[in-house]
Amino acid sequence: MLNLILRRLSFLPVVFFALSLMIFSLQMMLTPIQRLSAYISNNAELKGGREQIASLIEKHGLDDPFLVQYWGWLKNIFNGNLGWSESAGAPVSEALLTMFPATAELVILAFIPGFLVAIWLGTKAGVNLNKPTDHTIRVFTILGWSFPTFVFGLIMMLIFYGYLDWLPPGRLSQWAQSEVESNNFIQYTGAHLLDSIINWRWWIFLDALRHMIAPIITLMYVNLASMTRVMRTSMLETMRQDYIRTARAKGLSEKIVQNTHARRNALLPVTTVAGMELAYMLGGVVITETIFDYHGLGQFAAYAASKLDFPAVLGFALYFALILVTINLIVDILYPFIDPRVKVK
Amino acid sequence: MKNNLRNFFVIITGIAVLLISGTTYATIKNPNTLVFLWTDSIGSLDPAYIGSTPSTYSSLNVYSRLLDFDGSNISEFVPALASEVPSIANGLTKELPGGGVEYTFPMRSGVKTHKVGIKGSGGKIVWRYFDDLSKAEKAKIEPGYGEITAEDARYSLMRGILQGQSWMANAVTEMITSGKYTNIEKWAMGLAGVEKFEDVSEKGLVAVYNDLAKKLKVVNGRLVMTLDKSFPAALGIMALPFATSIIDMEWAKDVGDWPGTASTWKKYHKPKKNDDPLYKQENGSGPFMVESWDTLTKKLTLKRFEGFFRKPAALERVVIRTVPEWTNRRLQLLSGDADYAHTPPEFLEEMRAAKGIKVTNLEQVYGRGFFMGWPTSSIDNPATGSGKLDGKGVPPNFFGDLDVRKGFNYAQNYDIILEQVLLGLTVQSRGPTVKGLMGHRADSPVYKYDPEKATQHFKAAFGGKLWDVGFEMSMYVSEGRTRQISAGSILQQNLARINPKFRLKVQQLSSASFREKTYRLPNPETPLAGMGWGPDYSDPGGPLGAASYYLSSTGLVAGFSGDGYRALMKEKFDPLLEKAWKLNDPALREPIYAKLQAMSHEYATTQFLWEEITQNVTRDWLKGYVHNKILYGAWNFYPIYKEEP
Repeated sequence: MLNLILRRLSFLPVVFFALSLMIFSLQMMLTPIQRLSAYISNNAELKGGREQIASLIEKHGLDDPFLVQYWGWLKNIFNGNLGWSESAGAPVSEALLTMFPATAELVILAFIPGFLVAIWLGTKAGVNLNKPTDHTIRVFTILGWSFPTFVFGLIMMLIFYGYLDWLPPGRLSQWAQSEVESNNFIQYTGAHLLDSIINWRWWIFLDALRHMIAPIITLMYVNLASMTRVMRTSMLETMRQDYIRTARAKGLSEKIVQNTHARRNALLPVTTVAGMELAYMLGGVVITETIFDYHGLGQFAAYAASKLDFPAVLGFALYFALILVTINLIVDILYPFIDPRVKVK
Repeated sequence: MKNNLRNFFVIITGIAVLLISGTTYATIKNPNTLVFLWTDSIGSLDPAYIGSTPSTYSSLNVYSRLLDFDGSNISEFVPALASEVPSIANGLTKELPGGGVEYTFPMRSGVKTHKVGIKGSGGKIVWRYFDDLSKAEKAKIEPGYGEITAEDARYSLMRGILQGQSWMANAVTEMITSGKYTNIEKWAMGLAGVEKFEDVSEKGLVAVYNDLAKKLKVVNGRLVMTLDKSFPAALGIMALPFATSIIDMEWAKDVGDWPGTASTWKKYHKPKKNDDPLYKQENGSGPFMVESWDTLTKKLTLKRFEGFFRKPAALERVVIRTVPEWTNRRLQLLSGDADYAHTPPEFLEEMRAAKGIKVTNLEQVYGRGFFMGWPTSSIDNPATGSGKLDGKGVPPNFFGDLDVRKGFNYAQNYDIILEQVLLGLTVQSRGPTVKGLMGHRADSPVYKYDPEKATQHFKAAFGGKLWDVGFEMSMYVSEGRTRQISAGSILQQNLARINPKFRLKVQQLSSASFREKTYRLPNPETPLAGMGWGPDYSDPGGPLGAASYYLSSTGLVAGFSGDGYRALMKEKFDPLLEKAWKLNDPALREPIYAKLQAMSHEYATTQFLWEEITQNVTRDWLKGYVHNKILYGAWNFYPIYKEEP
């Protein structure tokens, strides 16, 4: 197992190098004038016309050879400097670190229940093939799969905030925000639920939870649908295996056959899909965060991209690559535990 | 399963009943707090650093200036930190021999800043909020530490000029040098006689400081500002919420800003944002203090300053938040959680009809138009097609032909735009200066839709070749500018009707791309772009006035409209602009600006479309907003209050 982990880890620098090269190359497809915008805070700086633009391009080394610029960028990254984000008004690394807890909190609360429900629903559908339960679950998942996130999110908000005024957008109400920002509340993690428990402010906890319910349901439903479908297909495949027939022939109860013999073996594909879902969710749930005005990485990345904030976009791309590779590694490590037939060589 | 289905229908019916009956009744949810939702963000809390309207939401409310605008009047002033408005009548404005002008600002006494300095143990100054102090503690305030004086005003103006970061700070430089230098670097280079700012010696840096110090002096507790020549827009600049906002000198020095000495200013010149000590902290004397500012979540909370030199504001708090998504802003406004929501134009009618919502029209100090540039950039330019007059593109100097410009102007249907796109809310723009600015006359010539005249001009353009071969080109419009997009589509259709070989494509670009391809280039990518540029003060002349912006060869519009446009401005418009600026008498200046306005029609410099109008969409319980055109709709929260309608 240790060998596997080390081998996987040894690939990471290569993967990162390739990714960084790709990301930087994409940015270099823009002209020096376009990339100059990252260094210009107002148009008056360009009032000198062509000469001024040329001198600024030279000053920032934007027409240097590719490798020179790439090396400079890489050196900064090694020094922990991802650059200054004009759209965030802060260094990129600080912006990513500050936004991460909010997104992580939302994603974890949407992912874990979603994953468990997907396994349960997928199992139910798989073992009740073509029965009403299967049909109901299939309709439920097809709806979830075919609903664009922004449509479902907007419907959630229109109903539960616009009409009922139950689940407001944002992360906290005005009064709770004032309390969180006050000296009486210590923000240990930046995740409001966790911080409110540590500070023992249950009213903040409830308010934060109230604000999170709608985005959690939105995220959960859309992602649950795809995982449920994979689980159902996998269960159908497993239930046809000879060892399931043997287990039944041995006289084991259907419950034990399904839960112990079938479900565990059916988990492998759904784990792969779930890993990817989690990675994409942690990479910033752009639409959900934007609709619900939830200040997390997704909203930050979308805003930065709309402002052509290249340092922020590049930093975010690197962060996303890191998340993707890390979760992929974790999933690889989990395989042998879920299915011992997957031998570690 | 039957039970499942029954439960499902019960739930659905329940939700439907709730939807029908669950109308939200909004009452004043936060009686003393104003929640303001917009799509912009504040760049810095440092008033000298900022140059955009959104950023003035902090400086306008947190800092004070020597003068304020008189309500909604753009060229009348009232005293603020100064106790009187300088004028020739009260002797505080003096015309000097040789054409110079001297302004004297007597200072209001007893003005406190949000944080004041108290001597702590060991003699060290501790900065504490004035509002938190007891009477006894207030008696211990160190003189000058948190009290606005003429020295603070002098320091603030000098600091802004020497920092030289923002174009609005540079506007103060232009004012104080009477237009001779556009920024401190040029001033230093001019005095030192060198070509590059980096080549200015230590001695040269001290020399420019001394030159500036001579123009800003404190005499008997009054600030005296001396200009070598008249600069009619001077008082207008002093009232703007940028680099003329007054900070407390002692506090600024204490937090690591410029120590006020001649030899040190270069170190504080054009700082990186995060190196600027005043980027995230303030100590103004305005009606509100910054309680918190989160740049990441883009939320600014202002708290009422009880020690304000006028009566404290009615609102206790103002929360300004960036919410990019319209539905979210809309629902928060309708539910009463928000008091103001930035509203895209296409939703204004819906909001007008909504219960509890008030939509107020606000005239702006600028117009919208289609800007013609020539020559266009000739490298990899998708906007100009083949780049030749062959029916598949346009040549770089397409709009260099006066007949083309006139043809385009006659091909636009202004009446349809005003009636159907703008719903009769505003009027046709007559040129660079709009209603309320000097030079605007209600009877000046404007273009009207006239396909016959347009045909005549198009037939005459390029020796008749244009009419024969036609053209194909893209005009750029910023995404989401629905009114401009509609105006572009009307022009597109009219051109095609005049000659089917005329193919204009209206290309929408994201605001960032639009900026890159149009006004950040000396020669634009597109020959035609939808924009609107407003002046920075009410006077039409000078470096940042409306007429100069559009019609001077060194103006803002000329800066991105191409060498050909600049050459035309230099030849035809610059002499008149210079003549008008040298005059002091408004009666003599007005006809010149009116003539310039008429010339912009004669030379068809731009397709002037309409005088811009914006809207405030608020809850109807919000009262007291005062609109001043020259502040571009920036909210002064001081007079605002909430009251059930």
